[in-house]
Amino acid sequence: MNLWVIAEHTLREAVRRRVVLAATVVIGGFLALYGVGVWFGYRDISTDPDLTMSMQRVIVGFMLQGGMWSLNFVASLLAIFLAVGSISGEIDQGTMHAVAARPVCRAQIVLGKFLGNLMLLTVFIGVSTAIMIAVVSIITGQYAERAWTAPFAMLFAAAILLAVTIAGSTRLGSLANGVVVFTLYAVALVGGVIEQIGNFLDNPVTFDIGIATSVLLPTRALWDLAGAQLAQESGAASGMTGGPFSSLNPPSGWMLLVAGVYLLLALAYAIRGFQRRDI
Amino acid sequence: MDQAAIRATGLRKSFGDTHAVRGIDLDVPQGEVFGFLGPNGAGKSTVVKIILGLVQASAGEVTVLGHPAGSLAARRQIGFLPETFRFHQWMHASEFLDFHGRLAGLDRDTRRKRVDEMLELVGLAHRRRDRLSTFSKGMHQRIGLAQALLAEPPLVVLDEPTSALDPIGRRDVRDIIRNLRAAGITVFLNSHLLSEVEQVCDQVAIINRGRIVAAGDLRELLAAREVELRLGEGAEAALRASGLQPVSEQPADGRYVLTAAGDEEIARITAHLAGAGVSIYEVQVRSNSLEDLFVRLADATDQ
Ligand SMILES: Nc1ncnc2c1ncn2[C@@H]1O[C@H](COP(=O)(O)OP(=O)(O)OP(=O)(O)O)[C@@H](O)[C@H]1O
Ligand SMILES: [Mg+2]
Repeated sequence: MNLWVIAEHTLREAVRRRVVLAATVVIGGFLALYGVGVWFGYRDISTDPDLTMSMQRVIVGFMLQGGMWSLNFVASLLAIFLAVGSISGEIDQGTMHAVAARPVCRAQIVLGKFLGNLMLLTVFIGVSTAIMIAVVSIITGQYAERAWTAPFAMLFAAAILLAVTIAGSTRLGSLANGVVVFTLYAVALVGGVIEQIGNFLDNPVTFDIGIATSVLLPTRALWDLAGAQLAQESGAASGMTGGPFSSLNPPSGWMLLVAGVYLLLALAYAIRGFQRRDI
Repeated sequence: MDQAAIRATGLRKSFGDTHAVRGIDLDVPQGEVFGFLGPNGAGKSTVVKIILGLVQASAGEVTVLGHPAGSLAARRQIGFLPETFRFHQWMHASEFLDFHGRLAGLDRDTRRKRVDEMLELVGLAHRRRDRLSTFSKGMHQRIGLAQALLAEPPLVVLDEPTSALDPIGRRDVRDIIRNLRAAGITVFLNSHLLSEVEQVCDQVAIINRGRIVAAGDLRELLAAREVELRLGEGAEAALRASGLQPVSEQPADGRYVLTAAGDEEIARITAHLAGAGVSIYEVQVRSNSLEDLFVRLADATDQ
């Protein structure tokens, strides 16, 4: 019950403090630009006599993959920004005192904030990916059914980032927390590339370092799940889908399990961190 | 009503090397207005935060109406105005109170009724639709008080509730506190505004450097007198014989300072000395205002 009150409060706060408006404008602007880009791009490739139908499919697939990757990046940043000061910021401002003195447990405050922000991210991810898939299929006539993995992978990754950032904010101030989480995120991102290089060079140490970064923060590995689906959609040979947008080795199914456990641990760590903290 | 509203035993709290609270015992009876006084940094707010479970004690035990401090059951009994009185700036006044009503577990109808009553009580009914970001400092403190009283708690904890208020606001808060007492509600009032405490409190505890240096019924504490005497031969022996312990003495000049619980006791002391044949050259009685008491105790324990 109180969990829901806090979640609703968090949602309301995002709307009132114009976070939702700002994010809508930015993501809306990006989608508009993307649509224009796809339209002109597709006009060129569809009139190019040298391109076969299957080559066209591959290029359209690439465009969708790149767009989805960008949305994933924006969603991740949004998750970090939403949660970066969620606990420490409220303690520093003094707004936590009256709330935490109410008959509401600290776990409910943490989970309520997590849930409120997650609902917001669900709407953003759902709407923006749906628009993107629709735009691409309307312009190119190519409906990418497998692209629907992407919003789920994004949401899972965003949930993990939210939980990690909230956990950080029970112990660190907003700035320090932002630096730590964003660095972790960047390391995981680069780790994916290192993993690919390790695989390419057939070097197990480099490969394992890449894997280790996925365990440090499994956001990149989750994206790879969606990336692999998107790559299949374009019908490309796996050799053509390297680079930052996708992965040579789509993570195995138990990566999902690891990510799930990771999420629960991050939430537990956040709750414990807040419970021990003097306000 | 045998249960204390707040009972603390052996309470301690350290923040790293800072010993904010160093062994406090408190007994706040139900239905009284209890003043908790002390200079800046004495540890008042820390004790309050422990009572509310915002801060975890390093040692000792605190109960609120029989429930361990910080438990949900304990927090259900308390309305709290924090000393910082900072609230979510993006909320409207009535929305803010409604949010706290929900957290306190009030149903919709009760909330609607109580929110209106509280806005009326603190004189902000005309600003109910305004965002808190448009409020002045004093208005923030008023809405904070409304928030504390919203759920009709049996115990109200106010940490310097008038620090931002104008004289009229202070008088209003005094009246509100008196009304709370009349309704049988216990008020724990943190303050260093001594006149305010003198006007509303039944009992006080004075805290300095994390320890309680005086506690008890306010009127008894204020009735205490300090008597400076200049006496003739045999004074020392006469004082000892009657078990009177001077707080300071300069026997060479015949000067002794005693404390007395009231005027009657001063009369008894002088009669006793005269009866023992001691010449009394000078009697100076200093009555305590709360301010004297406060400054003297703070100075004495700062040594
Ligand atoms: N979170 C904290 N971390 C470190 N030290 C703290 C913390 N909170 C309080 N202190 C220290 O504990 C002591 C008591 O502080 P407290 O806020 O309880 O004083 P106070 O009596 O309320 O003072 P004031 O009248 O100024 O409000 C001070 O020395 C303060 O520096
Ligand atoms: Mg204080």
